[in-house]
Amino acid sequence: MPTIDFKGKQIEVDEDGYLVNLDDWNEELANYLAEIEEVQMTDAHWEVVNFLRNYYKQYQIAPMIKILVKEIGKVMGPEKGNTKYLYELYPGGPAKQACKIAGLPKPTGCV
Amino acid sequence: MAKIGAPELTGRIEIPKLAEGASADQKSYIAKPDNMAALSFPRERLPNWKEKAIEKFGELLKKYRSLQLSMDICVKCGACTDKCHYFIGTKDPKNMPVARQELMRKVYRKYFTTEGKLFGGLARAADLDDNLLDEWFTYFYQCSECRRCSYYCPYGIDTAEITMAAREIMDSIGYGQKYTLEIIGKAETIGNNLGMLGPALRNTLDFVEEEIKDNTGVDIKLPTDVEGADVLLVTPSADFFATPHVESLIGYAKVFHQAGISWTFSSYASEAGNFGMFIGNYDHMKTINKRIWDAARELKVKRVIAGECGHAWRAMYSFSNTLNGPFDYLDKKYPSPVHICEFTLDLVKKGAIKLDKSANDGFTVTFHDSCNVARASRMGDKIGGQFIIPRELIKAACNKYVEMSRGTTHAETFCCGGGGGLLTDELIDLRVKGAMPRMQALKAVIDSNGVNFFALICAICKAQFTKIFPYYGLEMEMVGGVHQLVSRAIILGAKEGV
Amino acid sequence: MLTVIAYAVAVIFVWGILSRFIIWLSSPNPLKIPTTPAPKTFSGVVARIAGEVVLFQSLFKADKKLWLGGWIFHVSFLLIVLRHSRYFLYPVPEWVMVFQTIGIYAGFTLILALAFLFIRRLTIDRVNYVSSFMDYAVLLLLMLIGITGLTMKFIGRPNLIDIKAYILGLFSLSPEAMPDSTVFILHLLLFLLLLLYFPFSKLLHAGGVFISTTRTQTDTPVEKRHITPWAK
Repeated sequence: MPTIDFKGKQIEVDEDGYLVNLDDWNEELANYLAEIEEVQMTDAHWEVVNFLRNYYKQYQIAPMIKILVKEIGKVMGPEKGNTKYLYELYPGGPAKQACKIAGLPKPTGCV
Repeated sequence: MAKIGAPELTGRIEIPKLAEGASADQKSYIAKPDNMAALSFPRERLPNWKEKAIEKFGELLKKYRSLQLSMDICVKCGACTDKCHYFIGTKDPKNMPVARQELMRKVYRKYFTTEGKLFGGLARAADLDDNLLDEWFTYFYQCSECRRCSYYCPYGIDTAEITMAAREIMDSIGYGQKYTLEIIGKAETIGNNLGMLGPALRNTLDFVEEEIKDNTGVDIKLPTDVEGADVLLVTPSADFFATPHVESLIGYAKVFHQAGISWTFSSYASEAGNFGMFIGNYDHMKTINKRIWDAARELKVKRVIAGECGHAWRAMYSFSNTLNGPFDYLDKKYPSPVHICEFTLDLVKKGAIKLDKSANDGFTVTFHDSCNVARASRMGDKIGGQFIIPRELIKAACNKYVEMSRGTTHAETFCCGGGGGLLTDELIDLRVKGAMPRMQALKAVIDSNGVNFFALICAICKAQFTKIFPYYGLEMEMVGGVHQLVSRAIILGAKEGV
Repeated sequence: MLTVIAYAVAVIFVWGILSRFIIWLSSPNPLKIPTTPAPKTFSGVVARIAGEVVLFQSLFKADKKLWLGGWIFHVSFLLIVLRHSRYFLYPVPEWVMVFQTIGIYAGFTLILALAFLFIRRLTIDRVNYVSSFMDYAVLLLLMLIGITGLTMKFIGRPNLIDIKAYILGLFSLSPEAMPDSTVFILHLLLFLLLLLYFPFSKLLHAGGVFISTTRTQTDTPVEKRHITPWAK
């Protein structure tokens, strides 16, 4: 199992760099994961991450992209409530890249 | 991401010179031991894997005539050599269908034929050693089982059958692919490929209902587990998660609503897809398929309708009756699953729903035939209905429709590049290159006709193109479902004369 | 000696083909996997297979040049076999005479088509890549059979009466003396070699095409439940 070295601690990740143990996640680690992904975390990025984590806590899965889009639109203003904006935040895809930084497992299936 | 080079879009498909090993580095991740065990495969590669593999090979030859024949009758005429999208895109000679088959056939010769035993290397017989097994794992997970080569083969040899057998052999010795096996595990335990549990599904559908209400002002329900509904709709679970998939989901709901037909999803069988097919495993395919028919029986529906998903339609149309038939508990008028396109088109023709084509006037549409629909199934009664029905439906929903060039559509369609269990991120370079032939044909109609809507009827196609369009410099918003067009065009509200 | 070889080869050929068909037919088709669009009826399947066997229709869609070369070779081969039937049949039926002149032309077109297939196999990088020694060898073998045959017609004509007596003797299981012609013996030996190789090699395509699963199944998974013993 690959690991990443974070503050002297070995953290288990899968081949794509997703955390294996969701409890390993904290905000500092998220910043570090974002760095690896070359994503500069802003408030907007955090909105996404926090929403994903809360949703996951409740439903054990990341939300549908459209739900996320709507939420971001609500919080950040309607002009930002679209998929394009999410891809601007997370060029690797709002589902996959944002989930990685949020410490959630990678969505599977035909997505 | 820098290393992923999309070929240049010229609008032409050219057959490349061979580049040995060009895609040898495109390898799937190996499945985790727990995942393997959950599906009754050995946790990891067996110490005596070689003997076990040959034994399994022998067993499959006796169980599948298609495999036995394919091993024996290929004359290596070369007709298929330029037909595979992965070969055209990667230039790797081992992606030529016959060369892919040869990876298996040379083992067959060595262990199962007189020719191989007598002539050995002269007949290209070879031992299944670590190197060759490694090549199996690489190149049998660079085949999307799209059957394009089989269409052209003078003897109908189907590389998909060989790929499935090779994957089955590898799984049986404890050497599986992470992507497909993880998904099969979820489909068999949770009921869908996403791993979405009932409450999440309901929350998602509630959200979609609200969205529809906000956008149309109409109360349209997306029900789950309604006993006694007329229709059980089984759709790829990607429709509950991804974009643009969800737009087609909204389309289905509007169609049922407007036609006044009661329908339901099942939270138990919340997946049309069947990855058991991709790994050539009869039992897993049957287990996954069974959920649908158990749900249909339990919910006492009259009929089962399949959403926009290519391989799922093959599994449902071609295999269901064998796997879990007969369906005598369904309404006699609808003895089999019906494709959503056929269902909707029928309603349009009967006048039960009306489409306003002008709603899609901003679009010039082209249609991509999905491989499993085109070459492995049918829609409706007419031979070739799988080509006619989606096109008629699209033309009923928009004014501007353009066909891509001959040789790239209908039975000759190119795979999207992500089918057959290859829609996984570690294979992204392969997926980008494998999409190239389709992208060239699309580019040609973009340039000549201004096509700006790429209509699909497959969740894999939708996810794949959404992902790879940007690599080719195209907008991912062009990608959409056929029922996305229907959704935009359908006239909701009181029906005239009813 | 030649006589013994001929009988041995005949036995191996028949046994080889039969046992291969038994292997093929005893392996079931658990699922409906026709390459669609596919016919829905048996007569539709017959027409589809006829199209493959007579016209090579899938190959036509795949590669026009290869189709032409392959089709000319196979038709030439058939014409030559028909022409040769005058050596096996006594009295010679009327219809065999139709093929006498055209059978000679077919000898030339056969060799030309084989040369084309050989050069193509050698020069197209994709085909060359998948070709083994045996793929080339069998083309050469067929060419040599053709060349020795034409040699007998145009260079050194052996005594046809002797040859026909010998062949009829072989068929009636009362062998006559071997004809005194090196070219003929060579021609026959090469042909026997072809027969010997046939049941153990890709030449089996000639039989397999008739039962190819993807081409012979009807597209009727719903109309009729398809089940096989192991896959219920």
